[in-house]
Amino acid sequence: MIEVKELTFSYGRDKQALHGLDFTVEDGEIFGFLGPNGSGKSTTQKILTGILKGHGGRVSLFGQDISAAHTQEFFRKIGVLFEFPYLYANLSAVDNLRYFSSFYPKEQVRGIEEILEELEFKADFMKKPVSSYSKGMRQRVSMARALISNPRLLFLDEPTSGLDPSGAVLFRRIIEQERKKGTTVFLTTHNMLDADLLCDRVAFISNGNIVALDTPKNLKERNSDHRVVIGYLYQGRREEKTMEAPELAAGIPFAHDGIVSIHSQEPTLEDMFIQYTGRGLS
Amino acid sequence: MWKTFCSLFKKDCRMMLSGKFFLMSFGFLAAYTLYVNFGYVRFMDARLYNVYLYDPAKTQTTVSALVQQVSSEEALAAVLRDDTSGVGIDASSGEPQLAFYEMEESTDRHRADYALSLLRPSGHHSAEVIGSNTPEQKARKEITCELLFFEIAAVGFLGIASVLFQEKSMGIIRVHAVLPMRKNLFLLSKLAIFLLSDLVFAILLTVLNVGVSDTASLLPGVLLQTALLSLIMALTGLICALLLKDFRQFTLAYLVVAIFVASPVFLSANTALKPDWVYFHPFFHIYMGLKNAYFETSLHSPVYYLGCLAAIAALFAGAQCVFRREMRKEG
Repeated sequence: MIEVKELTFSYGRDKQALHGLDFTVEDGEIFGFLGPNGSGKSTTQKILTGILKGHGGRVSLFGQDISAAHTQEFFRKIGVLFEFPYLYANLSAVDNLRYFSSFYPKEQVRGIEEILEELEFKADFMKKPVSSYSKGMRQRVSMARALISNPRLLFLDEPTSGLDPSGAVLFRRIIEQERKKGTTVFLTTHNMLDADLLCDRVAFISNGNIVALDTPKNLKERNSDHRVVIGYLYQGRREEKTMEAPELAAGIPFAHDGIVSIHSQEPTLEDMFIQYTGRGLS
Repeated sequence: MWKTFCSLFKKDCRMMLSGKFFLMSFGFLAAYTLYVNFGYVRFMDARLYNVYLYDPAKTQTTVSALVQQVSSEEALAAVLRDDTSGVGIDASSGEPQLAFYEMEESTDRHRADYALSLLRPSGHHSAEVIGSNTPEQKARKEITCELLFFEIAAVGFLGIASVLFQEKSMGIIRVHAVLPMRKNLFLLSKLAIFLLSDLVFAILLTVLNVGVSDTASLLPGVLLQTALLSLIMALTGLICALLLKDFRQFTLAYLVVAIFVASPVFLSANTALKPDWVYFHPFFHIYMGLKNAYFETSLHSPVYYLGCLAAIAALFAGAQCVFRREMRKEG
């Protein structure tokens, strides 16, 4: 779906933003692009969505070189959720979606009310102006805009930002549904939980370089010391013991009256990011 | 493409409606019409200076009926104290002596000539009349032309910017970068709606202030000049609104346009002040184009129209450039 080779980009002479990125995104894959502010995430996404021109290296989408790809036909196949919910504040959710969907062929467009219902949008707000919506509601309308054209390739920038926990769960479920339909998702985020739960593979980008690229599981396992912490009860007292995971192959190898908890000491995705880049995600 | 343009056009109409642009234009139209019909035309129709003559010996034999006779020197002084712009003639010595309440060099030379001409009405030269407009028609056309120029140059410029700043503040321009549409249609739909609204404004303003019978013949020329000015101003407004960060910065640009661009044009076109450099001022030619259209005198060469079209093309290219820059911006 996406093939990037030696991608470079500079804002002016002395401001190189990307230093030769290499990655591919397969059809139907959810690909996470993780990096701190100013690392080159947005620049990469803008190149892929045809907003920025003048890059170096080779980029192809839908099997076509990017220079030929950014036609109206290309834009019909992609959906983009921006980091901020850009909407016409004086129009209602329905009018915004009616306007944005009018640029696509009718047979490609999903029903406005159906998609808003799927996003659990409050029905009594559908015809009220966006200016009266909460941030979460605006994010739902923005997501509806990205999905309304049934895109084959979806670019999501911080999809769960501004949502409460139940909203974030809903969005993750919808992204999963899109994957099941065969949609490819290019997910740009700071949110490690989203990346961990959703992505088939993630790339860590720092200072315009990809410093690691693998599945979240592999990244964590590769750097794990394979220890577990077991909380247990013995003779009326609560105890804790740290062990190598293989030691548990034959069962709990110490005396205990009951097991209270078992915690893996596997690093989180954020730990991995800091390890690879030496920087936090904020 | 047509479907895309219609979507954009419809949306821009809603933006302008919600921004009360049409209401504002209607308000200006009403205010201008009231001013022209109940203020300007009546003011221009005011009587000329009254002339008072004190001539006890009846030495002046060919006095016009417009001259009012007074019975004494004291009466002449008293009437000038009441009518301060009147002109007094004291002919008690046989030779007419002029008297004013207050003197001002340039204006009173004219008042003096007028007063003396009334003493010998048959002696003055008759001029060849080359125009067909009555003084009222002339006044109406002049003021309508000025108001239309002001409305498009300043108010239209401000209107397009207010719509665009709304879209900029919502960040919505960036979304259009990833929609399956020709990007220049975003600008073209705005130009179309402002052009259309300026043309409707020009028709209504002309009909209401110049009169229906006169409008029919001068309208094609007026609409052509209005279209040229409207496109130039709308594109300038678009570029400024896209380039400048916020509305506060834009108001400075607005001042530059309103004061430094429009004022010299009005001054040179309506007063004796006509500096040489004004012929290099592009808006002077556009203003004169509009004025000539109102008086149905076509003095412009093809170079003027080519210049206007070249300016529109260059401004459109500039607007596209800054529009693409805006689409690339971060959130």
